[in-house]
Amino acid sequence: MSQIKAVNPQHERWAQLGRRAVWRLAGGVLVLWAVATLTFFALRLIPGDPVLAILGGQSANPTPETIAEATREYGLDKPLAVQYGLYLGRLVQGDLGVSYSQHLPVTKVLAEQSWATLQLTFTSLLLAWLLVLLLTVLTAGRRRWVSNLASLAETLSAALPHFWIGILLLAVFAFGLRWFPPAGSDGWRTLVLPSLALAIPLAGFIAQVTRESLEFTLEQPFVLTARTRGLSETAVRFKHALRHAVLPGISLSGWAIGALISGAVVIEVIFSRKGLGRQLYQAVQAQDLPLTIGISLAVAAVYVLANIVVDLLYLWVDPRQQGKTA
Amino acid sequence: MRDNLSSIRHLPLLGIAALCSVLIGCGQQTSTVTRSDKPVSGGTLIYATDREPTCLDPHVSGDMPQVFIGQQYLDSLVSMDAQGQIGPWLATRWEVSADGLDYTFHLRDDVHFTDGTPFNAAAVKANLDHMANPKTQSSTAGGYIRQYRSTDVIDEHTAVVHLATPYAAFLEVLAQGFLGIESPTALLRSRDENCESPVGSGPFKIVRWDRQSQVELVRNADYNWAPPTAKHQGPAWLERIVWKFIQEPSVRFASLQAGEVDVIESLPPESHEAARRNPDLTLLVALRPGNPTNGTLNITRAPFDDLKVREAFVRSADVVGALKSVYFNEFPRAGGPLSSATRFYSPDFEHAQEYAPARAAQLLDEAGWTGRDADGYRTRDGKRLQVHVVMGNRTPPSEVTLWEQVQATTRQAGFQLIVELMSDVQATKRQADWDYDVRLGYWNTNTADVLRIIFGSEFIRPAGVGGYHQNTAGFNDASFDALIQQALATQDPEQRRALYYNAQQIASNQYLQLTTYPQSSRLGIYKTTQGVRLEPSLAVTYLYDAWVNK
Repeated sequence: MSQIKAVNPQHERWAQLGRRAVWRLAGGVLVLWAVATLTFFALRLIPGDPVLAILGGQSANPTPETIAEATREYGLDKPLAVQYGLYLGRLVQGDLGVSYSQHLPVTKVLAEQSWATLQLTFTSLLLAWLLVLLLTVLTAGRRRWVSNLASLAETLSAALPHFWIGILLLAVFAFGLRWFPPAGSDGWRTLVLPSLALAIPLAGFIAQVTRESLEFTLEQPFVLTARTRGLSETAVRFKHALRHAVLPGISLSGWAIGALISGAVVIEVIFSRKGLGRQLYQAVQAQDLPLTIGISLAVAAVYVLANIVVDLLYLWVDPRQQGKTA
Repeated sequence: MRDNLSSIRHLPLLGIAALCSVLIGCGQQTSTVTRSDKPVSGGTLIYATDREPTCLDPHVSGDMPQVFIGQQYLDSLVSMDAQGQIGPWLATRWEVSADGLDYTFHLRDDVHFTDGTPFNAAAVKANLDHMANPKTQSSTAGGYIRQYRSTDVIDEHTAVVHLATPYAAFLEVLAQGFLGIESPTALLRSRDENCESPVGSGPFKIVRWDRQSQVELVRNADYNWAPPTAKHQGPAWLERIVWKFIQEPSVRFASLQAGEVDVIESLPPESHEAARRNPDLTLLVALRPGNPTNGTLNITRAPFDDLKVREAFVRSADVVGALKSVYFNEFPRAGGPLSSATRFYSPDFEHAQEYAPARAAQLLDEAGWTGRDADGYRTRDGKRLQVHVVMGNRTPPSEVTLWEQVQATTRQAGFQLIVELMSDVQATKRQADWDYDVRLGYWNTNTADVLRIIFGSEFIRPAGVGGYHQNTAGFNDASFDALIQQALATQDPEQRRALYYNAQQIASNQYLQLTTYPQSSRLGIYKTTQGVRLEPSLAVTYLYDAWVNK
C-alpha cells in the first residue's frame, strides 16, 4: 500500500515541479550574483578615480577637502576587495546603496522609474502579440502571395532598428499628424508611439516563428479532423491550430522581455520618457556604480522571473510538457 | 563652472525635420496670435531643456542645469546688470575693508523664504558656510569662495564676511545663481533631502520633482524683492512653470514648433535658421561670460613647450571655416582668452589667432621643425610633429567634427593631430598625468578672475589626492600671477580693467589656447510667451518677467 502511495503520479509530478522551481530560483539567484559581480568589477576596473565621476567629472572646481570628503563618504579609500565584500554584504540585506549621481537611495530610483519601463515593456509585448496573431492567423496558409507578402513584412519589421522606427513614428504621428505627443510619460497617449516602436520589430520575430509553426500545424491530421467536423476556417485556426502554433512564440517571449528592456534604453531616450532604460544610460555615463548595478539587477530579476513565468505558461498551454520535466 | 565639453551624445535625429517636411509638411501652419505687450498674470509656462540636474540645490556639485532652475526659485545677495556692474538685491549696500578682507553686508529686512524662515544675517552665514563645507560637495560655488573664512552676525540685518586673501571678484561670483541664498532651515536637512526640495526666497518655489520627467514650480505670492535689473516688482506673472527634460534636440525643437512647449533651451544651431523663418517663434541668444570654448595646449612638454610651435599650431587652424561648416555660421569665433560677455574683456586680442598658414610655416621653420616625412608631416631630429587631443566620450559629436576640421587644416602646416576618444574618467586620468597636448574645455563665470583659475600657477597642482589641475596649460608665470593678484586686491574698476587687460595680453601672446567660439544660451520661444530674458551673470533663463497668452 505504502509503496503505491509513494509513486502516486500526481504527487510525483508536483514534487518534480517543485524541484524544478527550486532549481530555477537557485539558478536565478546565481545569475543575479553574477550580474552584480560583473558590473561591479567592470565599472571599477575602468581606469581613473570614481571620485571625479561623482563630483561631476570635469564639470567643476572641487577643493581638495571636497574630494577627500567624497572619497570617504563612498568608501572609495578602501581596497577593492573590501569594497566588493562590503557591497555584497549590503546587497544580501537588500541595501542597494545610494546613487552618486542622483543623490537618492537606489531602491527609491528603482521604485520611481520601474513602473514606467514595465508599462512600456508589457504594452509592447501585448501589442507585439496582437500584431502577431492578426498577421499570422489571417494570412498563414492562405493564397501563396498573401502569405509571402506577410512573410516579407515580418522579415522587414524584424530587421528594423528601434531608433529608426521611433524616428519615423515621431515624424509621422507626433510632428506631422500630431495625434500623439512627441515626448513625456504621462497618460496612455504618450505610451502609444514608444510601445509601437518596440513592438514592431518584436512582432516580426515572433510572427516568423509562429507562422512557420502554424503552417506546419494546419497540415496536421487533427486539423483535417476538425475541418471535417464542419468547423469554420476561423474556428479551426483560433480554437485548434493556434494553441499548438504559439508554443515557440511563447518561449521566445521570455527572451523578448530582455530584448524589450534593452530596446527601452533607446526608446526612452528618443521619446523623453522616464524609466529604467534612460536612467541606466545616464548612470553608466556618470559611472554611477550603485545605480548601474541596481538597475542591472532589477532588469536581470525581471528577466529571470519572466523566464520562470514563461516556463509555467508553457506547461499550461501544452499539458503534454508536464511529463518531461527538468 | 567648468566643463570639458561633456554633454550627452545625441542619437542621429538630425534628419527628422527634413523627413518630417518630406512626409507631410508638418509645422507649416501660419496662424498668428496677437501679441500684446501688456503682461498677463496667471497661466502655466512649459519650459523644455536638454539636461536634468542631479540635484536642485546649486550649491551641491554645481552644473549648468542646476543654476537654470536655481535662478527661478533663488535670490542672490547682489545683482549684476548687463554691463557687469554689481547692484543691490538681498543686500541693500555693503562696505569693503581697505585690506579687501572684510565685506560688511547690510541686508533687506522685509524678505522671507517660502518656508516662512526670515532672511537675515544668520541666513547669509548659513549659506556661505554651506557652500564652503566639504560635506556639501560643492564644486562650483565652493570653488569660487576658496578665500572664505567665516561670517560674523553683527545684528539681525548686518553680516561681516571674512576672507583669507583679498578677492575683488567676490561680489561678482555672489551674483551668480550658483551662490543663491537658500533657507537656513531647509539647509539643516540632509544634503540629499535638500537636493530634492530646496527652499529659496525667489519668485517661484519648487513643488515637485518627477525624475526624468519634469520639475514643477509655482508662483511665490509673497514675492516683493525683485532685483533692480528686473522689469517689474511684486509677484511673478506666471502662475506655474513646468520644467521638462527633453534630451533630443530635434524632438525639443519639434515640440516647440508644435506649441507643445512654450520655451526651449539649447536650441540646436542647425535649427536656428528654421526658427528665424518661423513666424511663430522667436530666438533669444546671449553669449556667456568666462573663458570661451577652447583647446588648451599643454606647455609642459614637447612640442607645445615651444611658443613658436604653439603659435604655429593656432595659426594653422582655420577655425572660422570649421565653425561655418560645423555650426552653420551660428557661432561666432572667439579669439581671446575671455568671452566678449565678460566684464573687463578687451577686443584687442580677438585677431591674435587668425588663420595665417604662411606665418605658421615660417614659425615652424624657425623652431627647427624643418624636415618632412613620407606622409608630409614635419619632423625634427627624425621625430614627427605630433599633437594628441584627449577627449572624453561625452564630447558632443559636433565638437569632434570641429576638431577633425582643425586636424585637416593643421595637417597642411605639417602637424599630425591625433584625436583620442576615451571614457571621461580615463580622459581625466590622462589630464591628471599631464599626458595630453590638447584638452578641450570652457569655463562659464562672470568674472575675469577666471584667468587665475585657468592660467594661475596655484592651479597647476592637483586639487587633492587623485585630483586634476585646473590650469590645463601648465602655465607658470610669476608676473602673470602678480597681475591677477593685484586685480583681486583693488576694488577700483579702472585699475582692475588695466590689470586684466595686461593679463589677457600675456595669455594671448603666450598662445595657451586655441579658442573656438564663446559658450552661449540659446532659447526658442513660442508665440504664446513673452518677457523671457537671459540674465547677465551667466546668461541664465529668467522667467520672473515672463507671461503667457494662451
